[in-house]
Amino acid sequence: MSFLDIDERILKIVELVDLRATPITDLKAPDVDGVTVGILEGGIANTHNEHTAIRMRERCKILVALGDCAVFGGVPAMRNFFGEEAALQRAYVDAESNDSEGKIPSSPELAQLTRVRAVNEVVKVDIHIPGCPPHADVIFYALAELAEGRIPEIKDDMLHWH
Amino acid sequence: MIKLTIDGKTIQAQEGSTVLEAAKAADIFVPTLCHHPQLTPYGGCRLCMVEVEGARTLQPSCTLPATDGMVVNTATDKVLDARKFVLTLIFSERNHFCMYCPVSDGDCELQNRAYDEDMTHWDLQPNWQPFEVDASHEFIILDNNRCILCRRCTRACGELVGNFTLGFEERGANSLLVADYNVPLGESTCISCGTCVQICPTGALIDRQSAYQGKETEVDHHIGVCVECSVGCQRDVLTRDNRLVRIEGDWDAELTHGLLCDKGRFLPLEDDRSRLLTPLVRKDGQLKAATWDEALDAIASGLGKAQGLAALASTRLPAEDLVLFKSIFTDGLKAELVTSLEEGKSTASVAKLAETMSKSFESSLDALKDADAVLVLELDLVEEHQVPGFFIKRQIPEGIKLIVADGKDNRLAAKAHVRLTLTAGEESAFLAELHKALEGKADDEGINQAGALLTSAEKPCIVYGKTLAANADEAALKHLLAVAEALGAALIGVKGEANSMAAAQLGLEAPFTPNGYQAAFVALGDENPTQKLTKRLEEIPFVVAQAAYYSQLTANADVVLPVTMWAEQAGTYLSLDGRLQKFEKALDAPEGVLTSHEALLKVAETLAVKPDTDWKASLTKRTPTVEIQAV
Repeated sequence: MSFLDIDERILKIVELVDLRATPITDLKAPDVDGVTVGILEGGIANTHNEHTAIRMRERCKILVALGDCAVFGGVPAMRNFFGEEAALQRAYVDAESNDSEGKIPSSPELAQLTRVRAVNEVVKVDIHIPGCPPHADVIFYALAELAEGRIPEIKDDMLHWH
Repeated sequence: MIKLTIDGKTIQAQEGSTVLEAAKAADIFVPTLCHHPQLTPYGGCRLCMVEVEGARTLQPSCTLPATDGMVVNTATDKVLDARKFVLTLIFSERNHFCMYCPVSDGDCELQNRAYDEDMTHWDLQPNWQPFEVDASHEFIILDNNRCILCRRCTRACGELVGNFTLGFEERGANSLLVADYNVPLGESTCISCGTCVQICPTGALIDRQSAYQGKETEVDHHIGVCVECSVGCQRDVLTRDNRLVRIEGDWDAELTHGLLCDKGRFLPLEDDRSRLLTPLVRKDGQLKAATWDEALDAIASGLGKAQGLAALASTRLPAEDLVLFKSIFTDGLKAELVTSLEEGKSTASVAKLAETMSKSFESSLDALKDADAVLVLELDLVEEHQVPGFFIKRQIPEGIKLIVADGKDNRLAAKAHVRLTLTAGEESAFLAELHKALEGKADDEGINQAGALLTSAEKPCIVYGKTLAANADEAALKHLLAVAEALGAALIGVKGEANSMAAAQLGLEAPFTPNGYQAAFVALGDENPTQKLTKRLEEIPFVVAQAAYYSQLTANADVVLPVTMWAEQAGTYLSLDGRLQKFEKALDAPEGVLTSHEALLKVAETLAVKPDTDWKASLTKRTPTVEIQAV
């Protein structure tokens, strides 16, 4: 939402970049021979996230962690205080909205939950943009700088919690 | 004076000052976390590290004495790297995720220090060790997950308050802030003064009342005197959208340096009495809402024809109001009785003596701060007038000798070196004995022991409470004065409410005994009336009550005028040791509610009285028990 709050300025960004892959386009992963900038949102909460982060790192020259979840682990990281098993048990079995037959999904096709980690605990991150969410102006500033070929410096008021 | 160089600037500093103090005096900012100006330097967090030429490693500036010729750098790459590293270690130790915390965005010193260093992230991840949250206390929540182990709270609890409730258990990453021997805070020896909450740099200690109610960026500050008792601590009243958010002590206050007790800090926000929002007039036996004009007319006809008039004012009212009140009822209406709700119990006898002797013989509360022996007479400083009690308790580890004489349970007595029994009513005999004890000639060995402790002290202090002032006769008080004089001791009478002493200066101290009064005017302000007062007023046919809140007293009254509570009025208060201090209003009064002062002026106008409003002159007409000085 905060990303969309950059409003019509988004059009200027689009003009400047060649968008190679996003979770909502046909191509979900960056080109094998690499892209310049990759942006990751969200912490590393399971084996699938881990895989995505590693692939992004391999294929992106500059990796950006956007938002508190990607930078610190964020709200989902609260489950680290209880453990993955307790979290699954609570969600699928004990929650008041479940019937008596609640059970924890265990298909081998599903990613396995892990401790929730910041992206920089799994792969090297080049630019951290904290905020829950980061302000639209901060997102715009960072994207604009990257699109112009500069490295954004997130500091002072852009860093502050609002 | 010594000379040193900090960041290329030559700086003069007081001998004995630390590098941090020298830097601060020269407007050079060095970030700190465990350091607090009111506490002894601790050197725990290492955030204030600086580079000193000739020193092998970085040095903590908060504990490093400044020396002549020292060359210090506060912003080299080495220092900046160390700062970030220290912050990274602190952030990664426990749960410092700002989005869960009520102090984030302005109120958290840890977050602010990270902002100063432009930290976008930290490289070490938390070890996810959860600690239990202790929410057992009525006002305070203790969350070890947010604790940075700076120990400001434990030091404040001991060094400033002398309560020694908070301490640490375990070592290293397992260090746990606990109360007493790890009991829930709510069941501990905590006296709810809240100093630990105010001094905590993070959200490890928060208060229930103000959590999530308003951040530093959203509140207004109102510095002024506390009106909950006669000590006169300076406090900071935080408001937001005309609502009380929190009360804090004012660290810059000359006498109290940020200290408050539960009565000054937490209890004012717990007041849930119903407000009076319109004047009320009794018609056909029923109290009915009325306009101010109708109420004033009712007062004019009720007081006009009354034969005996009693007028009583709360000693929680500002001095300006008390002077106006006295002028209206004594000079203007010649009322039979004009007194305060305290009836001078804590002041009359002593004030009279000062007047007879034309001499002020009491001392400033400052004397307690470096006393080496204190005699406390009929007074539990853990229950009332607590902040002077802090001054005493915190010096016990320093070797101060404490003697408590009381006939009742006394929580301060638990810490006393000598405990004496002083039964109410026997003050005169006791003080005569005490006088003899200075030469070891009292009959009671305990009193002799107390006498010996006091005579061997260099800076003795005697503090007495309301019961003694109420019960001692003139001869007894003269013994007390003689004892203080012989010892060279500072004598301090704690008196009662916020303006007890102002009431004494105005002579508002006659006893209120049923005497066939036909009418009464009670300027109650926001005071909670006692049952005894309510009962006594029932015998009086026509009662006017000027009050902020509903009570049985206002329900029985014939005319009720709605007035402001403490935060909605400005005024001056005379503390127990003669400090004249101001409170500026912090909240706007509800529509239709006047300040006590405005209401009294309206009453004066209605009754065609021209009151004297030169309050300052009125306060100093009588020789005070202690010198009066504007602060």
